[in-house]
Formats: sequence, structure tokens, C-alpha cells
Amino acid sequence: MAARPLVSVFSLSGDKAGETTLPAVMTAPLRPDVVQFVHTNMNKNKRQAYAVAIRAGKQVSASSWGTGRAVARIPRVGGGGTSRSGQGAFGNMCRGGRMFAPTKTWRKWHKKININQKRYAVASALAASAIPALVMARGHKIDEVPEVPLVLDTGVESTKKTSVAKDILNAIGAMDDVEKAGDSKKIRAGKGKMRNRRYTMRRGPLVIYAANDGIEQAFRNLPGVELCCVDRLNLLQLAPGGHMGRFCVWSQAALDKLDTIYGEDGKRIPTAAMTNADLARLINSDEIQSVINPAKPAPKTYPAKANPLRSIVALEKLDAHAANKRRMAQKAQQDREANKAQLLAKKRADRTAKKAFKAQGKAFMAIASKQGDVCANGFTIE
Amino acid sequence: MVSCPDALMWEITKGSNSFLMKRNGNTKRSGAIEFSTEKGNIKSLNQFKFSGIANSKVYDVVCTAENKAELIKKSASKAGSKPSQAQAIIPIKRSDFRRGEKTIKKNTSDVYYRRDLESAALAKWTKVYNANKRAKGVKKGVAVKKGRGKL
Repeated sequence: MAARPLVSVFSLSGDKAGETTLPAVMTAPLRPDVVQFVHTNMNKNKRQAYAVAIRAGKQVSASSWGTGRAVARIPRVGGGGTSRSGQGAFGNMCRGGRMFAPTKTWRKWHKKININQKRYAVASALAASAIPALVMARGHKIDEVPEVPLVLDTGVESTKKTSVAKDILNAIGAMDDVEKAGDSKKIRAGKGKMRNRRYTMRRGPLVIYAANDGIEQAFRNLPGVELCCVDRLNLLQLAPGGHMGRFCVWSQAALDKLDTIYGEDGKRIPTAAMTNADLARLINSDEIQSVINPAKPAPKTYPAKANPLRSIVALEKLDAHAANKRRMAQKAQQDREANKAQLLAKKRADRTAKKAFKAQGKAFMAIASKQGDVCANGFTIE
Repeated sequence: MVSCPDALMWEITKGSNSFLMKRNGNTKRSGAIEFSTEKGNIKSLNQFKFSGIANSKVYDVVCTAENKAELIKKSASKAGSKPSQAQAIIPIKRSDFRRGEKTIKKNTSDVYYRRDLESAALAKWTKVYNANKRAKGVKKGVAVKKGRGKL
């Protein structure tokens, strides 16, 4: 394995006080699937048994009336003299009947988890807690934190007062996360609030120590802050909700101890299936680029075929003269339509003029060819 | 510190992270919408290209208090271990639009830093610039349709 990077160790006043090597376990592969699987199963391990009363809904004597009575064949309460008699019983669809598949206290409440899987998950969660982006993605406020993983001088373990603990967290920029947790305290929705789970709150930093010289009592009353001894690392704390990347504050002793807990003398550190998980780097590497086929030309695209009987543009490519002829015909048609009203008006006007002229002639003829004394009124035609 | 490749980081965080905003049935056609609110996400979209968590290099143009603008840029070397120094903040001092554009380009695409984000960044700068103008009262706000049946 390559030389491991150094991690800064900060004094209790927030200044850089030294360096230590990054524990090997923090280079473990990141496996959200393993973490989530182990978390869901582990989370089941503190459940309490519950069930309906074992005799509920079965305490009447009832039997089916059988067929022929024009009622359903459900068991019916026997006897008479009470409204209950003759009502359906036992079935889950009956009023006063038992539930469907009554819950039993001997349900399998707890889950056995393979020890290697559990250790894999813890190692993975530890590795995730050393990556700022994942810690932020989990929702921790670490914008002011100088470094991740955040390691404090071992002196932090002998902190005795909460006020001092607050000062320390302030100095290392971890107070934002504590405040976020404190501000998030809300009354729980639902029945849980009457069952001793009144408030809900986000998780703040997890303080990990090697020896409790007062640190537990000093930090534990801060909202959201949890403490854990490095010997008892717990996935439920390292990856709450199954999401890895808990914001951890380490004492140097605790961080250094990780190398004895995990590694050659301790628990096995899982190795990644891929040496290099950087997909972009792999794809663009010379080794891969040199053996892959060149990009194939995209299939040629043709424009949709146009019908020359309908489209003049298509016809023009085949026969320019025919296209022109059709265009002229179209134009003539359009012109005809445009001038139609005008033409009609002219025709009508001509016709009326012609009629008027004929009528005039006829009238003249009628008067001129009148029989009798044509000149009684003189020679003027009226 | 512990290096995690961008591609892996994206696979881990794309489905669920604290910055994700998913809403069902809030769009015009009642489809789901999905946004991401982390710093550095120039389009606030949950996409690998824009993700401020998964990418080791990413930048954004943002409004600040006093109606100013700044360019925030993830410093790839620090972001891996030092959250307090992970972001370089470059104020866009000029009130001139073109000068601001120049500041953005000079610090990003001109130094070969995420050139694929340039058009998105310039689009954002237009928005930021106009928003600041409106906030200062130099420019009128966008006309809002009243909708039917309202006087």
C-alpha cells in the first residue's frame, strides 16, 4: 500500500499542533449497499415484542349454520336472548372477530448479521467519514471545519466541563453542526410523542475517544452530540439512517488506536474490488483508448421522401418544366379566385345595363306602333 | 486526503443526499421535479455535470448581500480534506456586465477550468446581474401576469 497521507492534529484552541498518519481503515472501499443492508438489519435488534391478546376475537362459542338458511356460512354466535346471538364471529371481516393473521410475540424480531459484513460496513462508514463531500451530503454543517477527519489533541479526553467542550467545538468550527442539531428539535409527529419519544432531532458530531477521562460527561449534554469509545464503534452511530458519512471528531489517541484495531494484528480491512474506481480516468486512459475500436460513423440520415405528385419542390428536381407549368396553373387559379368577385360584379352590371337598354327599345316600339289616332296629342312621344 | 473519484462519488450521492429537493406533482403537468441545493451547483440540477458534491472542480456565480455578485470556485486540491478552505471566492466587483463576464471567463475557461460550464455560467451571470439591478431599483421588475378573473 502506498504511503498513507498525514492528518493534522489540532490543539484544543483550534491551532494545528501536530500530525499523525491516516489510519489504514479509512482507505476501505465505500460500499453504501453494505452499509445500508447492515444498518437496516442492525436497527431491528432493539425491538420489543408486541402482539394482540392471544384470545382476542375467539372468546365466543360459534359455529356455522351451514347452507340452506340464506345467510353466509361464517360461524355464528349461538344461543338467543341477546343481540349478539346469530351474529357472525371469528372471521377477520366480522365485527368482534379476530384480526387477520394475529400478530404473535414469537415473531422473529432480531436479525443475525454476518460478522464480516458488519465489520465491512463499519470500515466503510469510517472511510466515508473521512471524505468531506460525503459528510456534507449526509447533512452535516462542516463549512468552518479546518480538516476532515478532524483530530484533536488527546487532551480533549480529560475535558470536564460542558462550557469548555463548547469552546473546543467552537475553536474547531464544529459548533455549526451542533447548533443545526439543536435548532432541529421538534415535537414528533404521531403517537410516538406519548410513548417517551416526544422530540425528534438531527444528529450532530460523533466524538470518538480512547479513554473517558471526563469527555463523555462534558460533551453529552450538547444537542445532537454523541460519544463513542473507539473500541466500541457502532454502525448505528457511524451511519445513522444507513447513510454513511457521519461527522466524527477524533481524539488523537482514538485515531491512532484504529491502526491496532484494524490491520494486520486486528480486524481485516476490506479491499476494493477495483484498484481504480475513477471511471473517467479509466475510459480516458491510454491503455483503454489504444485498444478500443474507433468511433463508428453514425448511420446516414436521409430526408423524408417527398411525393412529386404532391410536392412541387420534389417535382422540380425531376422535371423543372412540369413544375413550372403546375406553378403557373396554381397561380392562374389563385388569380381567378382573387378576381372572381370583381368579374362577377362586372358581368352583373353589364347584364342589367343590357336589360335596361332592351326594355327601353321595347317601350319605344310599343308606343311607336300604337294603333289609332297617333297624333291626338301632337307629335311628341311620351 | 482520502481520494474518492468523482464518478464513484456521484454514484454514491446521486440517489439521496441532504441537498436534494424532490417534489411530486408540483409542475404544470403534475410531474415530479428534482433540484439540488448544494454550493457550486450552477443550475441547481441533480446532474453529474453540475453536482457540487461529486465534482472535484466546479464553480458558480451567486448573488451576495448588498446586491453584489461573486464567483465561487471549488479548489480541487483543498476540497478533498479541508472544508474551510474548499472554496475560493472571487468577487465580481465591476458593475459593468461585460467586465463581469470577463472576470468569470478569466478565472475559469481561460485557465482551462471546467470549460464545459461556461455557457451555463454566463447565463447565470445574466440572471444574477439583472436580479441585482432590480434589487437596486435600477431596473423594473419582471411584469407578472395577473391571471384570469383577477382585477
